[in-house]
Amino acid sequence: MQQQIIRETFHLVSKRDDNVCNFLEGGSLIGGSDYKLIYRHYATLYFVFCVDSSESELGILDLIQVFVETLDKCFENVCELDLIFHMDKVHYILQEVVMGGMVLETNMNEIVAQVELQNRMEKSEVSSVHIHIEQPGVTPVQLT
Amino acid sequence: MSDVVEKTLTALPGLFDSQTGAAKITNRLKQLIKSITELTSKHEEENLMKQELSAMKEQVSSPNTTMKQMREVMVRAMYCEMLGYDASFTYIHAIKLAQQGSVLEKRVGYLAVSLFLSEGHELLLLLVNTVLKDLQSTNLIEACMALTVVAQVFPKDMIPAVLPLVEDKLSHPKEIIRRKAVLALYKFYLIAPNQVQHIHAKFRKALCDKDPGVMTSSLHIYLQLIRESPDGYKDLTGSFVAILKQVVGGKLPMDFNYHNVPAPWLQIQLLRILSLLGREDQSTSELMYEVLDESLRRAEMNHNITYAILYECVKAVYTIHPKAELLEKAARCIGNFVLSPKINLKYLGLKALTYVVQHDAKLALQHQMTIIECLDHSDFTIKRETLELLFRITNAQNVTVIVEKMLDFLRGCNDEHTVIHLVGKVAELAEKYPFHSLTVTNVTRMR
Repeated sequence: MQQQIIRETFHLVSKRDDNVCNFLEGGSLIGGSDYKLIYRHYATLYFVFCVDSSESELGILDLIQVFVETLDKCFENVCELDLIFHMDKVHYILQEVVMGGMVLETNMNEIVAQVELQNRMEKSEVSSVHIHIEQPGVTPVQLT
Repeated sequence: MSDVVEKTLTALPGLFDSQTGAAKITNRLKQLIKSITELTSKHEEENLMKQELSAMKEQVSSPNTTMKQMREVMVRAMYCEMLGYDASFTYIHAIKLAQQGSVLEKRVGYLAVSLFLSEGHELLLLLVNTVLKDLQSTNLIEACMALTVVAQVFPKDMIPAVLPLVEDKLSHPKEIIRRKAVLALYKFYLIAPNQVQHIHAKFRKALCDKDPGVMTSSLHIYLQLIRESPDGYKDLTGSFVAILKQVVGGKLPMDFNYHNVPAPWLQIQLLRILSLLGREDQSTSELMYEVLDESLRRAEMNHNITYAILYECVKAVYTIHPKAELLEKAARCIGNFVLSPKINLKYLGLKALTYVVQHDAKLALQHQMTIIECLDHSDFTIKRETLELLFRITNAQNVTVIVEKMLDFLRGCNDEHTVIHLVGKVAELAEKYPFHSLTVTNVTRMR
């Protein structure tokens, strides 16, 4: 079932020209329900987000941009191969942006900070001493 | 002192080992991927995958496999499942990995569980204890991982077991934990609303949290709650308006700026909430006019995200109790969208017109030339949206023309869902405005 969705999505998205809009509805698996596809085309890659009708289209477009820029920061000039060979890392980054289907964080610096925290943990894997990791605090803002 | 030395000495060989160990992990996956790309047919791929999967099966069932090796197998298993091959024998090991492994192994185990299993899966019950343990861990990362898994895949019946711990996290000193806890509770609300009835007071606290990130997460909950019953939350209108004012006025830390726009996604959420609160309610709407005006004014820059904010503003202005000047400004905005050469904006303009047409039919008529042009646009999505709009502005005078256009489109369209949808619309129009039988026969032919 998942594979079908992937195939159909690719079919729909790859047919699109570069000068059409980035939003898609339709297709038997997606079109029947409340969802739409929002995608961005980068060189040979398509990043497709499937969202429900209550999401802002342009907002999601920019979210994709934030995600890609974060990938770029975390992988240093990310390319396709990075995404293929380190798909688990891509998932960890995505988990900081979208959690359980809801947008958790849109601030690129915050996302990168969280990922760095996890990377530090990886580097310290060899030590058998338990490390308690503190996250740098966020400046509090007075909102009445 | 001496046992610290001993610990270091025992860790030393591990140090040398794991340098190559980490390389080994990526190497085997690399090997697998490389071999897949070298294949030339689907059949060969299936053979290779079968081999790979049976090798993995052996590895996971062997008692000699270390946690580290298991971690590596798990990543390969995720890759195989992603390609569509069943690796269900690894599921139980993923859970074990999350239970028994070190932090790194836990991370892979949790990731595998969230990718492999869906909410109703029976194996998830085995995960509950691990999640409970990790939620109480002093290690930030373990707690985060547990919260993430809880928000992604968690059996509905076990929510009561984990609820008090998640609630607890709402008052955690670390901002990221509070944020994740809020979203986890939102997920609980979506799947089991009666379980979280008693903590609405805590949601209010989250809304006033000193950290804007936590406040933003709580907006997800409020949007849903307000969608279901706006009246219960009218008293919060003042707070939402105040927050939006502060955001638009640039009072948030610079971090939240995206392309010089202060916290755009936050603004969009707030605008949606305000439009739901102000609908058909004059007094509540009056509280918002000023801030809506301000938002419309500020979002003048030419970037995608400001257009997103403008769009939400416009929708809000038309949803709440009407105010003449705001409506005028909003109408101008829509006009700019529809006439824009940027195609995404045209799409949004059309959508806005469709939404607005029930309040203000003249606006659509003003732009009818552009709308007609859009019909012949090369972009399928734009065409569909135009037809949707035309359907809304059909009246006795233009119905024949519009139905003709729809039928033309249907003739060239091969997307099943769109055809069904559109035929339904044509049939509706045929019933509403009975006209000559030629068109009606066309409709039946389409079916």
